[in-house]
Amino acid sequence: MLNRRKQTAVGELVRDDLEVLPLMNLFVVLIPMLLLSAVFVEMSVIRMNLPFEVATEEQNEIDGIEENLLLAVTIREEQFVIEGKMIPTTAVPRGGENERRELQAALESVAGAHPENEEIMIIAEAETKYDTIIGVMDVVRAAGLPQISLLGANHR
Amino acid sequence: MIRHKSKRKRRNIGKPQKLRITSMMDILTVLLLFLLKSFVAEGEVVTPVPGVELPVSASKDQPVATLVVAVSETDILLGSELISTVREVIEGTGMKIEPLAARLAEAKEKQDEIAALRGTPNDDSEGQITIQGDREIPFQVLQKVMYTCQQSGFASISLAVIKI
Repeated sequence: MLNRRKQTAVGELVRDDLEVLPLMNLFVVLIPMLLLSAVFVEMSVIRMNLPFEVATEEQNEIDGIEENLLLAVTIREEQFVIEGKMIPTTAVPRGGENERRELQAALESVAGAHPENEEIMIIAEAETKYDTIIGVMDVVRAAGLPQISLLGANHR
Repeated sequence: MIRHKSKRKRRNIGKPQKLRITSMMDILTVLLLFLLKSFVAEGEVVTPVPGVELPVSASKDQPVATLVVAVSETDILLGSELISTVREVIEGTGMKIEPLAARLAEAKEKQDEIAALRGTPNDDSEGQITIQGDREIPFQVLQKVMYTCQQSGFASISLAVIKI
């Protein structure tokens, strides 16, 4: 009887759990630290290349776009205006919730009619918000016009 | 035998039971590995500048480590150094922002020197600059900043945005 008891005691000792408390302590410190330093907002960039010699907008406008569609979208306070050679000027009213979708639909119809054209100019006014410009750039790219030029409307 | 077993059970009732944390350990291990991985993979290439609320875009281009010009609603910073204020820029005539141009020229000189010492003039980061602009800044400020960067030899401009 006594002998058997001893045996079970030894068995219990072997079956015992691992001593994980020190590891727990380590995790408790490490995890909050890593969580604090983790980046949850992923950043990306929009790359732009500016011409080196002359960077004035007038030059951009002249640069090798004679036979082109000269497609441009102007961001005005109350509407987006899509203009170009050989296409009807279209105005998309702004302020609505679907302004971006409507602009995209209008641009897609233009891009569909002229599939060879990949260039578009975005003309912004002096007071146009940066956010709006980035938004329009996204829409334009989504509409299949990846070659974007950024110009300023004459505000002087 | 049966009596003996039940006796033992009864004896265990009074004893303090050990906390079973093995499953929690599993969770923590996975979490730890995941966080460590994201920590290493991200690398802090571009850190958002405090006070600047970046616009949101669908662009997928990866940011690169470059010089950063931050334009908040009130100030213009190069790195962490205050260069000018937005109001001064709006009121200023001409496209060039003089204080920014001066600092950029210095930075460019330094970059060129380093490139010359290294013997690799066509470094990838050369002539590159990242603009972190607040979503509320007017286009005329952005235009002037971009123009100044270009005039100072930084023609490859990245506009920092937050990925959707």
